[in-house]
Amino acid sequence: MAGELAFVADILSIVSLLIGIFFLSLGMIGLLRLPDVYNRLHATTKVGTLGAFGVLLSIIIQEGASPMGIKALTVALFILLTSPISGHMIARAAYRMGVKCCEGTCMDEYAGKRRK
Amino acid sequence: MKRRLITYMALPVVWCLVSGYVTIGSLFLGLIFGMLVVEPFSKLYRLDEVVHPTGDWIAKIPKKVKYFYVLIKEIIKANIVVAKIVLSPKIDIKPGIIAVPIRTKTNIGITGIANTITLTPGTLTVDISDDKSVLYVHSIDATNPQGIRDSIRDDLERYVLEAFE
Repeated sequence: MAGELAFVADILSIVSLLIGIFFLSLGMIGLLRLPDVYNRLHATTKVGTLGAFGVLLSIIIQEGASPMGIKALTVALFILLTSPISGHMIARAAYRMGVKCCEGTCMDEYAGKRRK
Repeated sequence: MKRRLITYMALPVVWCLVSGYVTIGSLFLGLIFGMLVVEPFSKLYRLDEVVHPTGDWIAKIPKKVKYFYVLIKEIIKANIVVAKIVLSPKIDIKPGIIAVPIRTKTNIGITGIANTITLTPGTLTVDISDDKSVLYVHSIDATNPQGIRDSIRDDLERYVLEAFE
């Protein structure tokens, strides 16, 4: 019985690891393919979050409530908190440095409202 | 309740989570290191300031759990949206920056709504206006700005307001 349970846990952990790696590689492809800095941030902030969650969930399933599993949970919480903030800071810094939006951008209601 | 007490209750828990060992000894060690780190900078963190935690913080825990459920659901949806765009043979997007008025006034509420917007499908917070009433949101598909404003107000801001205000 214990052996079967460990087998199921192994399968679950491998599946979530694969999902995480799949989304992380999608994030990298998005970073290369999308046109400008703002669109690239869409790929890295969102997809990076779920990709990292997949890898960390795999660690949690394998390790359970051991020190390594608790650390993985903590890392997941901090990624959830910091990933959007870093994306927000990069976007704002890029806009203030005068990085133009790509061709095909249909509206910009932020133009001229920049704080000095 | 002074801010010092809240800090000294929170730091040992953070120490336990980061070190990975949740024991009494680990909590105690975290308290000692927390004091050593925080005490020299007590002026910087305004530790002697008296804060009034809103009384219904514990009563709102179910609302916070619901907010996290919605957040995880939206993150998965956002990933599928981005995956579709990235894997399509020809990238055909119409991005734009939209002004989105927000109702919440507290700092924690604004932080919550800005982070939630960034993690949800197709939108990314760029900046906030001086009077903290308008968020500037970059959207990957800005053909229908009013629809994005409505979806942020109805689907996301409601949960943030319920959980953090």
